[in-house]
Amino acid sequence: MDIRKILFVTQFEELWFDALQSLLDLRRVALEHVVFVNVIEREKVAMHRGTGYQKSEAIRLREKANIHFINWAEALFEQGLEVGVYIVVGSLAARVVEAAAKEAADLIVLGDRKREGLKQFYAGEELAEIVRRSGVPVLLYRYAGARHEALPPFQRPLLATDWGPASANAVAYLRRLRAVIEEINVVHVTDEKQLRGDSAMTIQKVRKTERARLDALCEQFEAEGIPARAHLAVGDAADLIVKTARQCQATMIVSGISTRKGFGTGWRGGTYRVIADKTDLTTLIVPVPAIDEGR
Amino acid sequence: MTKKVLVVDDDPDVRLFNTTVIEECGYSALEAENGEEGLARVKQEHPDLVLLDVLMPRQSGIRLYRELKTDPALAKVRVVLLSGIAKKTFLRSQKALTEFGGAAVPEPEYYLEKPVEPEELARTLKQILG
Repeated sequence: MDIRKILFVTQFEELWFDALQSLLDLRRVALEHVVFVNVIEREKVAMHRGTGYQKSEAIRLREKANIHFINWAEALFEQGLEVGVYIVVGSLAARVVEAAAKEAADLIVLGDRKREGLKQFYAGEELAEIVRRSGVPVLLYRYAGARHEALPPFQRPLLATDWGPASANAVAYLRRLRAVIEEINVVHVTDEKQLRGDSAMTIQKVRKTERARLDALCEQFEAEGIPARAHLAVGDAADLIVKTARQCQATMIVSGISTRKGFGTGWRGGTYRVIADKTDLTTLIVPVPAIDEGR
Repeated sequence: MTKKVLVVDDDPDVRLFNTTVIEECGYSALEAENGEEGLARVKQEHPDLVLLDVLMPRQSGIRLYRELKTDPALAKVRVVLLSGIAKKTFLRSQKALTEFGGAAVPEPEYYLEKPVEPEELARTLKQILG
């Protein structure tokens, strides 16, 4: 799937136009259309005791968003890009999923809303809902370092693979992006339980098999002209993926997950959320194609 | 026969405002929510004038204007741009699209900046449609 259309979701606090500008190298592959989405959370304009529906507040927030979007849209229009906009009231996840479906978006870009405790849990739920219900890859964008630089995330991605269908989908997604990827690192984290054996040779066989699979995957990228490097690790998946990303100075972590219901906190259902929590890097979550839903 | 004006704008309040002015001027008003729907309505209804916003979901006014002006069957439909996007941006974007291999399109005859006063809109409609 080519990235022709990006849905850029912002509440203006966590994600500014410079983040989008860092993604415009995707024009070299297929990007031609950007759709801005601002969701005015219902609680900000909902019925309040003694005041009722805050219509004037809704208008104020809408026009404030409109001023930002007009400014940003002008910059994109002048580069020959197509631009659209949604400023809507409601719950973030539901409205984003709705806009992604209406626009047939190829990538949803979300900011990282810094929250603590229970609110952080709900933010994670929002992300999971958007990934599951939209079936569209989601880029959880983060600014880099203390200076909050907006670096192009697709330059040096780290692909975390579990060899599942979502990982295969992530591979197919990335292989089309050779014009923007300088180098890709691929990591597979083996569960320690797999290393049980009577001899060192049995354990070494596991390493050899996984390493061979990683090398074969790297060859696929290299056949597309993308330099690739393999990394094998053993232990806690999320922790080691984040450490490997640091080690190879990745600009982004790419994680394939399943959109199938019923996956809880395992590798497919929860690891991407744990990674997203543990890292300061941008994370791309690639779901499996919709055809896998409910299988 | 009553002349028809198609309003293409994603904002329902703006559509209501524009259609009210259009009808008060004695014309018939049609509506569309985005560029895609606007193009379909132009082909179906053959309006005498299109009042076109720029920044909309699905398809922008910039692309719809280009589609209208590069289709020989639709090129004669008169268009008034009515937008918060600056005219300078509109012209630069058309230039960029032409440079990317598209056909050159003429400048719009009228470009009004939002918000427009009802008197100004009525005056523009009458100038064009009589």
